[in-house]
Amino acid sequence: MFDFPFMLSTVPVLLKAMGTTIWVTLVASIGAALLGFSFEIARRSGRYSGYAMRFVIDFIRSTPILVQIYFFYFVLPQYGVTLPALVIGVFALSLYYSGYLAEVFKAGIDSIPAGQFEAAKSLGLGRLDTTLLIVLPQMLRAVAAPMGNYFVSLLKATPYLAVISVHEMLGTALDIGSETFRYPEPMIAVGIIFLVLALTIAQAVRWLELRLLASLKR
Amino acid sequence: MSFLDVLSVIWSGFGVTAEVTLLSLAYGVPFALIFGILQFTTQGWCRHAATIVIEFWRSSPVIILLFVFYYALPLAGLTLQAMSVAALVLGLNIGGYGSQAVRAALQSLDRGQYEAGMAMGLTRIQTLMLIELPQALKAMVPTFVNLLIQLVKGTALVSLITLADMTYKAKSVAQMTFDPASAYMGLLLSYFIICYPLTILGRSLERRLAVAKEGGHV
Amino acid sequence: MTQEHDAKSDDDAIVQIRNLHKWYGPFHALKNISLDVRRGEKIVICGPSGSGKSTLIRCVNGLERYSEGRILANGHLVDHRSDHLRLICQEVGMVFQHFNLFPHLTVMENCTLALTRVRKIPKAEAIEVAQHFLERVRIPEHGNKYPSQLSGGQQQRVAIARSLCMRPKVMLFDEPTSALDPEMIKEVLEVMTGLAREGMTMLCVTHEMGFAREVADRIVFMDAGAIVEEAPPEEFFGAAKHERSRKFLSQLLH
Repeated sequence: MFDFPFMLSTVPVLLKAMGTTIWVTLVASIGAALLGFSFEIARRSGRYSGYAMRFVIDFIRSTPILVQIYFFYFVLPQYGVTLPALVIGVFALSLYYSGYLAEVFKAGIDSIPAGQFEAAKSLGLGRLDTTLLIVLPQMLRAVAAPMGNYFVSLLKATPYLAVISVHEMLGTALDIGSETFRYPEPMIAVGIIFLVLALTIAQAVRWLELRLLASLKR
Repeated sequence: MSFLDVLSVIWSGFGVTAEVTLLSLAYGVPFALIFGILQFTTQGWCRHAATIVIEFWRSSPVIILLFVFYYALPLAGLTLQAMSVAALVLGLNIGGYGSQAVRAALQSLDRGQYEAGMAMGLTRIQTLMLIELPQALKAMVPTFVNLLIQLVKGTALVSLITLADMTYKAKSVAQMTFDPASAYMGLLLSYFIICYPLTILGRSLERRLAVAKEGGHV
Repeated sequence: MTQEHDAKSDDDAIVQIRNLHKWYGPFHALKNISLDVRRGEKIVICGPSGSGKSTLIRCVNGLERYSEGRILANGHLVDHRSDHLRLICQEVGMVFQHFNLFPHLTVMENCTLALTRVRKIPKAEAIEVAQHFLERVRIPEHGNKYPSQLSGGQQQRVAIARSLCMRPKVMLFDEPTSALDPEMIKEVLEVMTGLAREGMTMLCVTHEMGFAREVADRIVFMDAGAIVEEAPPEEFFGAAKHERSRKFLSQLLH
């Protein structure tokens, strides 16, 4: 029988674990954006590095996040790299989403008129200055919406870290299940919390996007 | 065990991976079409109901949905096999995303198409089936290819509910041989071999569609 | 015609173009172009669209690669080493048809960007320089606005000021008025005429024949990738030697 009071009793424990979920989402989002932007800039920087980065990005996008997490978690220690599961998890999420963000940034940079690059060049601006001062700000305007969607998607991928025993919400719910031999209640609780969280954060991201676009609209 | 042996064990799980994918499509494609069209054509409470169903399936993390349904359905008296639960959850989750592609494609059509159809005396349903959907389908194809990749990658999750797919096989090889590096490298490679052609296909379709669109405006 | 140029070649030339060729695949876009721009000289390049005039001046500051020949700008060889190009671009200013102002930066930031990032001068000083040139193009009051808040003519004048801030030895103008509404063309041409009066070396691609007649020391007429005729304005407008030049001029009048 479904034990409603038991389900309610799991909620405070799960909400505590929400801190980890949110923290992981924030750090991995920043990591994914930085990595993705670097990938895209490297992809544009020369013919061969272009092919190489294209392949790296396609490889990341063509394999499951779950398998990538396993790969880093089980294979790195074999080569003497032992990192906490949390660090590996954040890294794997960053890397996986960097593949998607690189593609988003590509479209954003492609949307900048060629004249902008010519003007920068004709003023003698170097590559780094052009990238940071001319390309980045104009690209961010173009990619705010799809980038926000991927951040929400990243939030929804954080429970994958439960498979390497990171104690975010799903991991915590599975723990409760294995301790009490009752899985349905913590699972349903975590499902409801996640649905509410994902919808709330999606709204928040949309609101931030609008503010960002409004402040940039000129 | 040689790397080829490892690969052959991994691919012994391909049948299950393929089965989950195909069954999921059987749930996902009709769901996407029906709910996308409902959201596009209806008003008021009907539209709200469709939106709630769609948001439930696409806003919840798929891994959580899988655990919730796997652990909680028996409580409701429904004892489904792991395969059925997996196909249902993966299919409706991807179908939720697909419904948004359907709706967006329908909305992006020139309203004149609908008006012309109605003006010819076609019924609403005839206009939808004969005028709007055929044009919108073309615009959806690249998104559907990307969602198919998403689905194939998502099937790796079924290894968590005891189904012996490629990921499950790789995990057992890793445990058996104490050589996670070859097992997970082989697994990454296997998914890459399946998904990379789809990635390329999706990109070329997107490009072709973009060209066709630009051409249309000239 | 090239021999004539080689004979005229002199060390006073701030831009030397020698036997320049450019191919786009099989298309021969520039055919053996030789041209000297002397210090203080104003040259107007005209010709029908597709004649290669824009391509030519875009080669001068390295925006286009040329296939054969040689360009010297202020004594530096224009090749495609980025360190050389950065040096050259600091001495050669360029004004574009579509202004190419940076939309995310204010007018003032557009003007000071290269001063602070390339010339590495302090910000306060850069603002002073920029203000000076904004006054010179007669829009000192718009420094805090963004490009999209200005009219096309104002934007183009900002673009000219942005270029002048680097104190270039020569200014390239690539059809600076052809994206403007007629009533705004005048304000931009006035600024350009003022610059010419003050002795700026200028290489202009333009269809504004009134400006050419008033300001240019030489008119260079190009067609199909080659220089067809080169003459002082009174000679070019009065008695163009070549059939193609005459045809071009008569079409402009109609």
